[in-house]
Amino acid sequence: MPETVSTENSHSADAVVRIRGLHFSHGDRVIFDGIDLDIAPGRVTAIMGPSGTGKTTLLKLIGGQLRPSSGSIRVHGEEVPALNRAALYQLRKRMGMMFQSGALLTDITVFENVAYPIREHSRLPEALVRDLVLMKLQAVGLRGAADLMPSELSGGMARRVALARAIALDPMMVLYDEPFTGQDPISMGILVKLIRELNDALGLTSIVVSHDVQETAAIADYVYLLSHGKVVDHGRPEALWDSSSDWSQQFLEGRPDGPVAFHYPAPNFREDLLHGGRAR
Amino acid sequence: MLDALQGLGRTTLDFFERLGRGHLFLLQTLSKLPGMLLRPRLVLVQLYSVGVLTLVITVVSGMFVGMVLGLQGYNTLVDFGAEEALGVVVALSLVRELGPVVAALLFAGRAGSALTAEIGLMKATEQLSGMEMMAVDPVQRVIAPRFLAAFLSMPLLAAIFSAVGIYGGYLLGVGVLGVDDGAFWGQMQSAVDLRDDIYNGVIKSIVFGFVAGWIALFEGYDATPTAEGVSRATTRTVVHTALAVLGLDFVLTALMFGE
Repeated sequence: MPETVSTENSHSADAVVRIRGLHFSHGDRVIFDGIDLDIAPGRVTAIMGPSGTGKTTLLKLIGGQLRPSSGSIRVHGEEVPALNRAALYQLRKRMGMMFQSGALLTDITVFENVAYPIREHSRLPEALVRDLVLMKLQAVGLRGAADLMPSELSGGMARRVALARAIALDPMMVLYDEPFTGQDPISMGILVKLIRELNDALGLTSIVVSHDVQETAAIADYVYLLSHGKVVDHGRPEALWDSSSDWSQQFLEGRPDGPVAFHYPAPNFREDLLHGGRAR
Repeated sequence: MLDALQGLGRTTLDFFERLGRGHLFLLQTLSKLPGMLLRPRLVLVQLYSVGVLTLVITVVSGMFVGMVLGLQGYNTLVDFGAEEALGVVVALSLVRELGPVVAALLFAGRAGSALTAEIGLMKATEQLSGMEMMAVDPVQRVIAPRFLAAFLSMPLLAAIFSAVGIYGGYLLGVGVLGVDDGAFWGQMQSAVDLRDDIYNGVIKSIVFGFVAGWIALFEGYDATPTAEGVSRATTRTVVHTALAVLGLDFVLTALMFGE
């Protein structure tokens, strides 16, 4: 199980995000137990792992919404946990984030949602705001839905609008939190295509947090596998399929049993049936 | 025994931790209020949502409370041949006590619960997190305008409640029960003091608006981001606001009217 970051994705001096010795706990529960991770510029980097392994927490740590217990998180050379509020907000203007739920503001239209960050952070004339918003919506194929309310959108459309909003300020990096979860095959295909194409066309750096192995591996340049607070494996997607790690093999192939046991730890079944006597 | 002590200790610590969070939240909110001068439209939208939409329940309740006061007051006063003092009884009851208190309780039920549910749902659906990641401060953009709207609305709603209540008392006392019209208004005018009665009532409603807005917004902001969490927070808003308003009413009344 590699504990250090390979040279393939590191080039530490170039890395957009550089994480070293990250520890984070929720109460008594250890989420990250000293992980190292580099996100190279211009690439789609996937962070995969089972549910509850802290993938979304990692995005929140990168975005400065949570503070680590210890360790370093550098984004574009800036130490995120040490930034004051103003500096953090300046950094966030250069990041976009697509939430799992879309997180669209429910009381304004699709157009207004995408215009929201532009209006909050610039004094552009209304005609220019309109052009920018329509360009972003055209990029995700939803220019025609500009006047709809978020409640009128399907789950996939809501995520595409969230993606248009995430790129509204032309960020250097976009964070995707479980973009494929609960999507039908067409919506999933659209999102897979958009993430890859927008990354390449806009020169972005993308971090995709997901447990949808096939879709994520199809567009990722580099993959980190997380489990039990550690980086279990990392490398190019095609290389991971040949990994010697049993855990990686079980996760990537979706095997029901293996290092992660099918059965939750329990007393001996026979003993439990015959002599347990516990009320269920 | 040990478990009970542990439970008591945990509850006490949780209470003070929450109290601390609530006060930090208030300080943060107050620090954002000057910024509202630059964006008055945000406050205007909330004034409509928090204040104007609470008008109907305030006016209807004020009318009924005024009529009940008129009826109860008349039945008591008529035994002493003092029914012409009905205007004074109705006006002082409303302006000093019932106007600010009942309007605040109605405000908690109508606007306070709506504010908590709205903010709680924004939290549960990651809208507040989304704002933060867009480098937009949710306290500045969402909380402060609502707090200011609640603070400004409450005295106006209490004044409207009192005015409508007095008119309700007048309709019943003069129109139905036959109290003299001139005596009703004349005695009221001579007995109700601007400083001692009306100003003190306004001060009460300002304090209640401050507290009701604070509790409603904090409960929403601090809610567990689940359906059950939002539901519990909404209930807490109504209960805590009612208790805070009634408790503060006693303290303020003792300070204003006590010997």
